[in-house]
Amino acid sequence: MSLAAEHSSSSDDIAASLDAVLDTASDASTDPDEVIEEEEESYVGDEGYYDSDPERPKRRKVELSKGLTNLQRSLSQGEPVDLSGGSSPKKIMCPHPGVYAGMCVKCGQKVDEETGVPFGYIHKNLRLADDEVARLRDRDLKNLLRHRKLYLVLDLDHTLLNSSQLADITVEEGYLHDKRDALPDTLKSSLFRFDWMHMMTKLRPFVHTFLKEASNLLEMYIYTMGERPYALAMAKLLDPGDIYFNSRIIAQGDCTIRHQKGLDVVLGQESAVLILDDTEAVWGKHRENLILMERYHFFASSCKHFGFNCKSLSELRSDESETDGQLATVLKVLQRVHSLFFDEGSKDNLEDRDVRQVLKTIRKEVLRDCKIVFTRVFPTNFPAEHHHLWKMAEQLGATCSTELDASVTHVVSMDAGTDKSRWAVQEKKFLVHPRWIEASNYLWQKQSEENFPVTQAKSK
Amino acid sequence: MFFHIVLERNMQLHPRHFGRDLRDKLVAKLMKDVEGTCSGRHGFIVAITGIESVGKGLIRDGTGFVTFPVKYNCVVFRPFKGEILEAVVTMVNKMGFFAEAGPVQIFVSNHLIPDDMEFQSGDMPNYTTSDGSVKIQKDSEVRLKIIGTRVDATEIFCIGTIKDDFLGVISDPGATS
Repeated sequence: MSLAAEHSSSSDDIAASLDAVLDTASDASTDPDEVIEEEEESYVGDEGYYDSDPERPKRRKVELSKGLTNLQRSLSQGEPVDLSGGSSPKKIMCPHPGVYAGMCVKCGQKVDEETGVPFGYIHKNLRLADDEVARLRDRDLKNLLRHRKLYLVLDLDHTLLNSSQLADITVEEGYLHDKRDALPDTLKSSLFRFDWMHMMTKLRPFVHTFLKEASNLLEMYIYTMGERPYALAMAKLLDPGDIYFNSRIIAQGDCTIRHQKGLDVVLGQESAVLILDDTEAVWGKHRENLILMERYHFFASSCKHFGFNCKSLSELRSDESETDGQLATVLKVLQRVHSLFFDEGSKDNLEDRDVRQVLKTIRKEVLRDCKIVFTRVFPTNFPAEHHHLWKMAEQLGATCSTELDASVTHVVSMDAGTDKSRWAVQEKKFLVHPRWIEASNYLWQKQSEENFPVTQAKSK
Repeated sequence: MFFHIVLERNMQLHPRHFGRDLRDKLVAKLMKDVEGTCSGRHGFIVAITGIESVGKGLIRDGTGFVTFPVKYNCVVFRPFKGEILEAVVTMVNKMGFFAEAGPVQIFVSNHLIPDDMEFQSGDMPNYTTSDGSVKIQKDSEVRLKIIGTRVDATEIFCIGTIKDDFLGVISDPGATS
């Protein structure tokens, strides 16, 4: 074998290469080509040294791969293996799967192009090529499915917590400034003050239990439109042991498209990712993975920001219910999705299943068997099928129609005085406010129709 | 690798420091300016061990500052391609792990981790062999080989590998010996 003959030449190569590298004290950034060639020769030469002891399995593997690269070289060059001139094909073949601080993570070469996706939340200098991201996603999916877990992307503001600038705290909320001991018990463990950021944060009720239960079923990411220091501070509140999120906190600076959140920076297959967010608009391309949450308005500034004129939870000195609130409901939905996804009875391969299909199926059960007619809800001359309430009702499994007939079960109206509304009362059908559809959407359950009565509109 | 070399630097001193303690103030300023910085050529300057010589000061026209050329001995740390280092793991994730060896941050991608080591997520994410005998997690010590370096003003970044012989975990923080 030619390997034995290379033994003596490789030792000289190593000495020469070390000399060359140490002597270039005058220029740190030596010609990368030159150094790479020398390094690759000594690299390969090292392995050639030890072929006298074939027992170690690791070395055998290395020899095998070396044999393969030799084969590749001889195939590409059409001549017997020659170390001294043969390093260029090996360089070209490195696919540069990732770039760390300007260097390829596999071969160490300088890579200047800005291709691929930046993963700034893991390390500020890390970029990964698209192929590599796809490969990692595949591998990670197999790993997670083996552990029976899916991915969950969580938003922070108005979903898991509510923050307010200290300057926006109203007079009625002044009691929140009191010393920790003076606060009521429920607030002691969920209200936090950050003087260095000039803000106060209130965690949503049930959030700690939610995170604990969800972490058994899902690998979690934080994805917020806030800045990185804010995201890290909130993560420390939610996850003091750093077990839920680890290095998976994505902030505004990591989004690839401005003002849009995307799953491109999440290392998980889209068919296994669930998103929990209160805003639909930022998830342009991934609406099907989204579970929309009702916004959490604790502070008065938050209510005002969204245009509500009512008193906020802090001013009313009350809070969302712990066991019955939005987070508890969503947790049940997540558990349901998880059990349906990992259903033993299904015939598909785990990798072929799609969590979006499961979500659609569950959604369709909410208003199953309902036939809805809308009246005085859409503006005139507006094509009814394009209205978001119509679409929402259809997603929830109801059938919508514009004409009244015997099979109609619900009439949705803003005004109890219209013909259709009166027909509903006459025929003993349910007459409900559009809020009924929205509430069913947020709570994933058909709501009781009595809670959404329609009042007579004021006559002009 | 650490080196003990002689470097030269032109130090500018404000006239208010002139007087009896001129030399001490010069040395103090030198230490403050230079220790902890990096250069591409010499690497990370760890500590100044002594002053070899201080040249004649030259007064700059127009400002009154005086420039002294100072020759000093210092310990520098510069990683080289092909060098073998021991480092402590700081973060493990699905793309590989980050390790630190002094002021140097080294990234070892999962392409350069032996194929039989699989990533395990969880409370303490780690890379483990299929039989569980070798484990790389936070605070493990590993021996790795540098295959690429890049230096900027204050930090040095390296790419490393543990796919060769005799590389890999040296000690496990949680293992029973």
